[in-house]
Order: sequence, then C-alpha cells, then structure tokens
Amino acid sequence: MTTRQVEILLVEDNPDDVELTLHALRKEKLANSIHVARDGEEALEFLFCNGNHSNRSFENPPRLVLLDLKLPKVDGMEVLKRLKADARTKAIPVVILTSSKEERDLINGYGLGANSYIQKPVDFEQFRDTIKNVGLYWLVINQLPVVNGVAQAASTGNQ
Amino acid sequence: MTSNHRATKAAVEQGISPEDHARAILNILEDFSEDKGRVEQTQHAVFNILEDFSQEKSRLEKIQRATLNLLEDFDAEGSKMQQMQRAVFNILEDSSVEKGRLELTQRATLNLLEDFDAEGSKMQHVHHAVFNMLEDFSQEKARLEETQRATLNLLGDFDAERSKAEEVSDELRESVVQIHAAKEAAEASNRELEAFSYSVSHDLRAPVRHVMGFSEILTKEYGAALPPDAQHHLQRIQQGARRMGQLVDDLLSLARLGRQGLRLEKASLNRLVEEVISELMPDTSGRQLQWKVGDLPAVECDGSLVKQVFQNLLSNALKFTRSRPRAVIEVGCMDQAGTPVVFVRDNGVGFNMKYADKLFGVFQRLHRAEDFEGTGVGLATVQRIIQKHGGRIWPEAALDKGATFYFTLGASEKTELKTKAAMAGDKP
Repeated sequence: MTTRQVEILLVEDNPDDVELTLHALRKEKLANSIHVARDGEEALEFLFCNGNHSNRSFENPPRLVLLDLKLPKVDGMEVLKRLKADARTKAIPVVILTSSKEERDLINGYGLGANSYIQKPVDFEQFRDTIKNVGLYWLVINQLPVVNGVAQAASTGNQ
Repeated sequence: MTSNHRATKAAVEQGISPEDHARAILNILEDFSEDKGRVEQTQHAVFNILEDFSQEKSRLEKIQRATLNLLEDFDAEGSKMQQMQRAVFNILEDSSVEKGRLELTQRATLNLLEDFDAEGSKMQHVHHAVFNMLEDFSQEKARLEETQRATLNLLGDFDAERSKAEEVSDELRESVVQIHAAKEAAEASNRELEAFSYSVSHDLRAPVRHVMGFSEILTKEYGAALPPDAQHHLQRIQQGARRMGQLVDDLLSLARLGRQGLRLEKASLNRLVEEVISELMPDTSGRQLQWKVGDLPAVECDGSLVKQVFQNLLSNALKFTRSRPRAVIEVGCMDQAGTPVVFVRDNGVGFNMKYADKLFGVFQRLHRAEDFEGTGVGLATVQRIIQKHGGRIWPEAALDKGATFYFTLGASEKTELKTKAAMAGDKP
C-alpha cells in the first residue's frame, strides 16, 4: 500500500460496474488514486483503518466515497450510517451511486447523511458525464477541510 | 221457764182440770225439749268457737315465735346497722372531701357545658347543613331510582337485542375472519410485489447498463477499426439494450404507481402543461409545430402524477404527428355536466377505433416498432394515474385523421377519490 493519498474510495461489488466506472474515471484522468472495496465490510475496514487496512491512518482519509447500496456482508446504508456517526469520518463526502431510484433509498440515504444521491444512467455516455461531473465537483470545486485536520473538520464541517 | 210452762203452773194453781193439766205439762215438756235442742245448738256453737280459739291460739303462738325470731334478727341487724352507720359516716366524711373535688369538677363541667353551648350553635349550623345534604340525598336518591328503573328497562331491551345480536355477530365473526384472511393475502402479495420491484429496480437495470456500456466503449474506442457489418451489429446491441432499459424503467414506474399514495394539492393544469412542453422542446427542433393551449382549471390532484399524464399524451402526440408537414397539438378543457373534461388533440396518424380497447393495455401497441418507437407502457400508466384520481379516460380517433384523448380527474369528490386511490393501491 502506498502512502499516497487515496482520492476516491469506490465501494462496488459488481465487477462490470467496477470496470465501467474505472473506465469513465480514467477518461477524466481521475483514476490514479482510486481504491475499490468489493463489499461493505472491506469499505468499513478501509475507512476505519482496521482489519486489512490497519496500516492506514485517519489523517489520510479518501476525499470522496462512491457508494453502491446493494453490497455483500454489510450493505451500503450500514456503511453510510457508521461513517456519518463517527466524528473521525463524518466529514468525508459520500455520494450514493446506485441502480435504483427507489424513494425509500433516497429518503434513508439522505436521512443518514449522504452528501449526494445519483442513479446510474443506463446510457453509458450519460454515465460517463455523470462520473466526470461528480469527480469534478467533489475533488476540484468543493472545498474540503485540510487533510490532517479531520477531527477539526468533523467538529466544524458537517453539522 | 217458758211461757207454756208458766201458763200450765198458773192453770194448776187456779184449779184447772187434771186433763188440762196433763196437756199443759206435755206442752211444757215439749217446750223443754225445744229449749234443750236450742241449748245443744248453742253448746255446739260454743264448742266450735272454742275450737276456733284453740286454732287461733296456735297460729298466734307461731306468729309470736316468728316475731321473736324477727326481733332476734333485728338485734343482729342492729349491730350490722351500727357498723354500716359508721361506715356511712366515714363515707360521708370522705364525701365532703370528694364534694370539694366535685365542685371543681362541676365548675369544669360548667365550663365545658358553656363551650358545648358555643359548640352547640356551631353544631346547629352543621345540623342544617347535614339536613340540607340529607334533603339533597333524598332528591338524588329519587333520581337514582329513576335512573335505576331506566337502566333496568334498558337492560331488558339489551337482553332482547343481545340474543338478536348474537345471531348476527356469529355471521359477522365469520365475515371478519374472511376479511382478515383476504387482507393478509393482499398484504402478502403487496409485500412480494414491493420486494420484486425493488429487486428489479436494483438488479435488472444493472446488466442492461453493462451491455450498453461495453458496446459503447467498443464503438467509441474501436469503432474505426471494425468492418461496417460489425459496427452495424454493435449498433443493434446498443438499441436492444437501450430498449430493454426503457422497458424496465417504464415497468418500474407503472409498478411504483400501484404502491404510491396520492399527494393531493391544488395544481394549475396550465402550469403542468407548460412545464411538459418546455421539456419536450428539444425533441421538436426542425419541425413545423403549433401548440394550442386553452384555459385549464386548477384542480386538486397529485401534480407529479398528472404531469406524467401530460408527458405521455403530449409526447405521443408529438410522435404520431411526426409524418405531418405541419403538426397541430391542442390542449383544452370543456364542461360536461359540471365536470371539467380535459382533452389532448393532435392531427397525427390516428388509429382505427376498433382497436381502442387495446390502447390502455400494458405492452399493447397499435403501430409497428419500425414506424413508431415505444414500449406500450405509456398509455397504461396514464390510465392508471387517472383511475387513481377517480377519473376516466377515453379516446376519439380515426385512422389517418388524428386522435383525441379526453379525461376527467374526478377531483371534485375528494373523499371518494381517496378511497378509490386506497383501493387501487391495494390491488396487486
């Protein structure tokens, strides 16, 4: 594992979706610093710096989490809930990126503190545009707290 | 000497005859025997008296003895009496001490009595109050008795009703059991449907996206290197996938309609139509097209759903007028027996009215896919929305002479509308 900062944590179990998403991100030159978690448990280990990711540090969080909802082991809503309930991780922006636009997923997602909710468009062109816009907004336009000031950001940033 | 005796003696002395004399003596003897009987009687009487005396005497002696005994007893009593007298004196002495004490007690008692007197007036008040209360109680009692009578009558009535009710309640119980069973079945199928459409929403779209995505990457990145046949096949793959995606989305929105409740609000139909037209504008570029929108009412309805109705009807109108050199699409409202009837009219290809009953069925199409694209879900969705609002929709068309769709929203009867909506929501 490199010490270089991870820009995006992609939480996605479907290999086709992983490939298409990475393809779209590469096109936008955003694919250099992506970590893929294939289930909710791995995502939590990565975010909370334990298990297989115990060498990680809270001072080096991803700058964006792209979160699918239907995941093995721990589902996306649970990942979101734990992430937003912990002062060390609650400032990390989470974009729900999922197939469904079920009303209850939207309501629950925002209720748990999701920063954005995006339904994956069927059309790949549109999907690529969406990924581009999301990356541009959260990694370039949006202002995040200083990297090693997460705790400070957590207390002032997202309340 | 009796008078007879003396007469006889006198007679003899005066020289009376011996016969007379004998008679005289006999008389005298008779007199004597009479006298003797009298003496004997007297003697008996005396004897009786003497006997009585002797009896009396023994009684007197008994009395005398008793009296003597009494006197003796008195004597004994006398000494006791003296003792008692002494005791009484002692007591009297003590009493005088007691008397002083008693006087104190008496004074205290008097004070108490005085107090009692004061208390007494208070008590009188209390008495009055108690009397009043008792009066009230007696009135209350009378009322209670009336109530009791009434209650008893009611209970009698109830008893009669109860036996009737029991008969009915048996039937009712059975119906309730049946209703519960039906409700449970409906809820179960609703849950299944919800789980199904949730899963479709998440899982069915994904492979469609993947097919679309990879074929687009192929086209974009390797298209130039592919022979024309291969490019054509790729295009067909993409079209199929796109259509599949559209079908899934349309079916999902139709399924969602069933579970979704109506969010009623006053909505201006003119505003909804304007929004839809502006959204459709990109599809009309390069076309000769005239929109004619009349005055539409503001109605109590679910705005987002009614907007879907206009989206479907207006995009259909756009689609089926595509072959017209100059398309005219009209939206208006007319009054039918007090109910506003909204209509959407076009001068498109129309259809034969003998197929009108197929128009609102899911996946039912009256045109070939090469001529007019579509999934066959749009009008089914429109009808579902209108029925949810308690309204109805009907067409008027002729082949090649355009089509008109009329609909009502039944929004004037809000409660009925809600009930119908709830019922529609229960249907699988």
